Amino acid sequence: MRTSFQAVPDTKLFDEFPKETTFDVVVVGGGPNGLIAGAYLSKAGLKTLVVEKRHEIGGGLATEETLFPGFYTNPHAIYHLMVDYIPVLKDFDLSTHGVTFIKPNIQTAQVFSDGSSLVFCQQIEDTKDSMAKFSPKDARNFGQLMRKWHKMVDGILAPGTYLPPLSPIDMIEALGRTEFGTEALRLTEMSPIEIIDENFTNDKIKTLMLYMSCMWGLNPNDSGLGFLVPLLIDRGLNKAQCYGGSHKLAGALSREIHKAGGLILDNSEVTNILIEDGHVAGVVCADDRVIKATAVLSSLPPPLTFGKLIDQSYVPDELKENAENWEWDPWSFLTVSVATKNKPIYNCDDPWVNDALMVVLGFDSYDQLIEHFNAVLSGKLTANGEMGGHVTLETTYDPTLPRVPGHEIGFIQCHVPNELEGGWDSHKAQAGNDLLKVWQSYTTNFENSSVVKKSIEDPKDIETRIASMVKGSIKHGDYNPLQMGVFRPHDSCVGGRSPIEGLYLCGASSYPGGLIIGGPGYIAANTLAEDLEIDKWWKLPNFVSKYKDIYLS
Amino acid sequence: MHEERFDVVVIGGGHNGSTIAAYLAKSGLSVCVLEERPECGGGQENTEPRPGFRIDPHATYLYGGAAPGFEQLELWKYGFRMVYYQSMAGLVTQDGIAANLGGRWNKEVGVDSIKSLTGTDPQGAEALFLQNLGDNGQRDLLRSLFWTPPVPSEYELEPKDLPWWKVFRDLLPGFWTDRLVDMSFIDFLDEFISWEPLRCFESFAAWYCGAHPAWDGMLLPSLGGALLVGYSSGSPRGGMHTYAHAIIRCAMAHGARIITNASVGEIIVQNGRAVGVKLDDLASYPEKTIWADKAVISAVDVKQTFLKLVPRSHLDASFTQKVKDVSLKGGSLFVLSVICRELPKYHGNKDYFPEEVYPSCVAAPADNMEFFYTQTRDAYSHKKAPELTPEHLTMMICTHDVYDNTRCPEGYHILSPIYLEVPPPQYDVTGPEGINRHKEEITDAALKLLKSLAPNMDGANIVDVYLNTPYDSEFRNAGMSGGNWYGARQSEDQWFNMRPVAELGRYKTPIDSLYLCNHTSHPGGLCLMAVPYNLMHILIEDEIVEPKSWWYPSPWYMPPTKTGVGS
Repeated sequence: MRTSFQAVPDTKLFDEFPKETTFDVVVVGGGPNGLIAGAYLSKAGLKTLVVEKRHEIGGGLATEETLFPGFYTNPHAIYHLMVDYIPVLKDFDLSTHGVTFIKPNIQTAQVFSDGSSLVFCQQIEDTKDSMAKFSPKDARNFGQLMRKWHKMVDGILAPGTYLPPLSPIDMIEALGRTEFGTEALRLTEMSPIEIIDENFTNDKIKTLMLYMSCMWGLNPNDSGLGFLVPLLIDRGLNKAQCYGGSHKLAGALSREIHKAGGLILDNSEVTNILIEDGHVAGVVCADDRVIKATAVLSSLPPPLTFGKLIDQSYVPDELKENAENWEWDPWSFLTVSVATKNKPIYNCDDPWVNDALMVVLGFDSYDQLIEHFNAVLSGKLTANGEMGGHVTLETTYDPTLPRVPGHEIGFIQCHVPNELEGGWDSHKAQAGNDLLKVWQSYTTNFENSSVVKKSIEDPKDIETRIASMVKGSIKHGDYNPLQMGVFRPHDSCVGGRSPIEGLYLCGASSYPGGLIIGGPGYIAANTLAEDLEIDKWWKLPNFVSKYKDIYLS
Repeated sequence: MHEERFDVVVIGGGHNGSTIAAYLAKSGLSVCVLEERPECGGGQENTEPRPGFRIDPHATYLYGGAAPGFEQLELWKYGFRMVYYQSMAGLVTQDGIAANLGGRWNKEVGVDSIKSLTGTDPQGAEALFLQNLGDNGQRDLLRSLFWTPPVPSEYELEPKDLPWWKVFRDLLPGFWTDRLVDMSFIDFLDEFISWEPLRCFESFAAWYCGAHPAWDGMLLPSLGGALLVGYSSGSPRGGMHTYAHAIIRCAMAHGARIITNASVGEIIVQNGRAVGVKLDDLASYPEKTIWADKAVISAVDVKQTFLKLVPRSHLDASFTQKVKDVSLKGGSLFVLSVICRELPKYHGNKDYFPEEVYPSCVAAPADNMEFFYTQTRDAYSHKKAPELTPEHLTMMICTHDVYDNTRCPEGYHILSPIYLEVPPPQYDVTGPEGINRHKEEITDAALKLLKSLAPNMDGANIVDVYLNTPYDSEFRNAGMSGGNWYGARQSEDQWFNMRPVAELGRYKTPIDSLYLCNHTSHPGGLCLMAVPYNLMHILIEDEIVEPKSWWYPSPWYMPPTKTGVGS
């Protein structure tokens, strides 16, 4: 770290945050999970401090003026997948802070270069209407499949998100009790490609289904995590956008923390987790401030928590190994954000596409998409020079983002390798401009002259903004069978409780994972409350209790 | 639907709105703050347009170090931390001089630098003045100027009996003469500072702090403005937004409801009394009518309050005209943020300003008073754009990262903000957006000038440039009319009881229960926590809030007399 030269005043003007303080709990990292854990624990009466490296809390829940001056964007989470389930929204009355989610019917569209399109809607019959253009049979199958998959999500996958994971053996026993559970186990052993091939015939429908299944980082070829396909498709049709920007949710959680007597200390990088007599004793921040605490919750991934922050003599060998071998997300994103003078209108057969929360473009066939994913997985920018990705016009459902009236804000994002030969710096501008051209080529009116601001960010930029997203890993680490379920991050840390006494894990690198599903923070708060034998002021949501009764009793 | 009802509704979550919310919530009132943008803090803002680099589009130094608010609101509890600087100020001239003026925490740097340049100690008189004031004297003088509510008009005070002159006379009897009252700061500089570049620097410093040094009768407000920045000689760790966080967190900890993306469309007035607000239809809040049982506090500027939010049917035409006539001139800034690899080496010599004592704010070029006069003429006259020849341009070039390593990654520096005072958009003969048509031209001129003073500031060194014009600022920060940082001109006609107009001098308005808490009221901007502190006196007078044990009023506070017209 660079030196900074500071003066020491000879007169005290006023008190500052003390050099040494004591809290009951310190949460390392003020992203969604850190804030969720902090909010539950503060309200439970624990004196809780959330320490955040950035100047602004929220992590992926960011709404910032990245198109300076005048245009706010959501550089990370734009829409949230688990709004229908995430307990924090009901346990705290966040609507009193103005937290409102818009869940539009028109969810995900795809435009093809021949002018045809698919529109996947929240209302299944609307989706079937669009699919029927290509294949009435697929449309019918889709309807039946979604009824099944939705029940699977509702009864198993969503509740499982908010409870500690089961070991594989226990999981097989538990899920084997019901038909839906048995089906989830069967799907687990399939790859996304196999699942889609099994259910659909039309090439275009399969293309969009595969995009939705894998866009957040599932390897299309690998089996072992197939149960995530129903979850990602069902939730992908139920995305909700936080009105006023995703940061609204972070702000609301911050208000709950402070209302309950907790504190957020931002602009403070934790450089060390203190251990005394084998038990966690607090943290040290970059400005040498020491915060003593009896429990520390880290939302950072293992290479940071176990690899950097703790004196290695206290880290068990298996966790050292875990930190060393941790696999980051297999790919990251290249994002081009723009403020434009007009709303892009797509050159296609369905006007609903213009209002879709997400529009996929650049892929005309299933094979082309598979080749694209495989190319990116093998470290290449494109399979054959053709780029494609997904677009969100953020202002369609949130007109509050531009400070200059009469403008639209949106972005196109594509999957890219975390690292590119020659370094991202030498590719970023060209790749970004090419990607923007792809978007423009699918519209009738989106010219360069309508762009008033533009910014291109590559995987390195993601890490620079949010240090825990190493190599642009928005989920803090790959979703593969060895880093999922009970193994996320390691089977010695189930429920967030690490083998180091007093140290808990609560971030996206812990079960069940990232993408603002709020599981890790919620689970860690529950575990800590149980360990400290505090009365939980919250109750398990009904859908979770129901699942417990059926599968865990 | 559930009725939304609070004791007090505050319109605007900028510095003043969040501070009054913290004061009132801490006093036990139920408070709701309605902020139009996704983030509170107003001008206390840091943004990261380029990953890892935090720029200061508006406020940049802690001017409010003497504020009672630090103690009363206990901001330390909410994470407030400072970074103090080895040197606050420097000046560079076109003819080859670079002077490090030092700062409060390292006075030797300044004294040595100027002695070596001039052979004398030209700071002598001013230094003596400050020395005689002492630490407590400085604080008292500043508090009497900024943290004292305007006196009720029935007192009819002579200018020399205004609080700051009383303090001045008590503290510095040897300096006191009657004629000081009518003097301008420039008159004072002429008398006490012989080295012209330093006079030029001090004039700019005062101007950027609010009160133009040439304005008659404003000696102490001008001098006080310059003292404010030297008083703390530093910034909150991480930038001004962390100061906003501490204030907002104090408000939240005491139960204030803060709602962002909630733009107010109208102040509801019933029987001459403000009883609540209506949110715009697009606001991110389920209920669009919010009632205020005790008061509505407008923390947006006086023009928007009365020309937009209070229905015209409740206002007298002569009053509205006065509001329309409030002068916005004098605080509109064109702001550049330059990301670079190396700090400027003025006149090619890096030994002028070694990093360990790098002056955080460099006025350049500041050769003589002509620079100052030409630029202020430029910024105040009605015209299409500022003149851009180097002899008309002086910049205030600020940098924080040598003292605060959280501002940008290693291997880089940020010059942010670089301030350039320009005409307010409203006075541009080609229309308010006029300045934006000259954005590139002004930027080019500024960068060319910078390079002429520091040859290393070339294309190889400069990585990126961000800008916000006053016109941009007006859009970004709804409360910043004219892109003006002090809200309104801080001349004698718009200062203390007269600010922004006499009818509104004590934060009260023609509408009962509607109070003003914005930098268009006394004492102005700079994130001093002063407007809310002063307003608290009035709210206590009006029995809206009861003082708690932690509250203390200004020692120079004069309550309305019982027979007076004050209440």
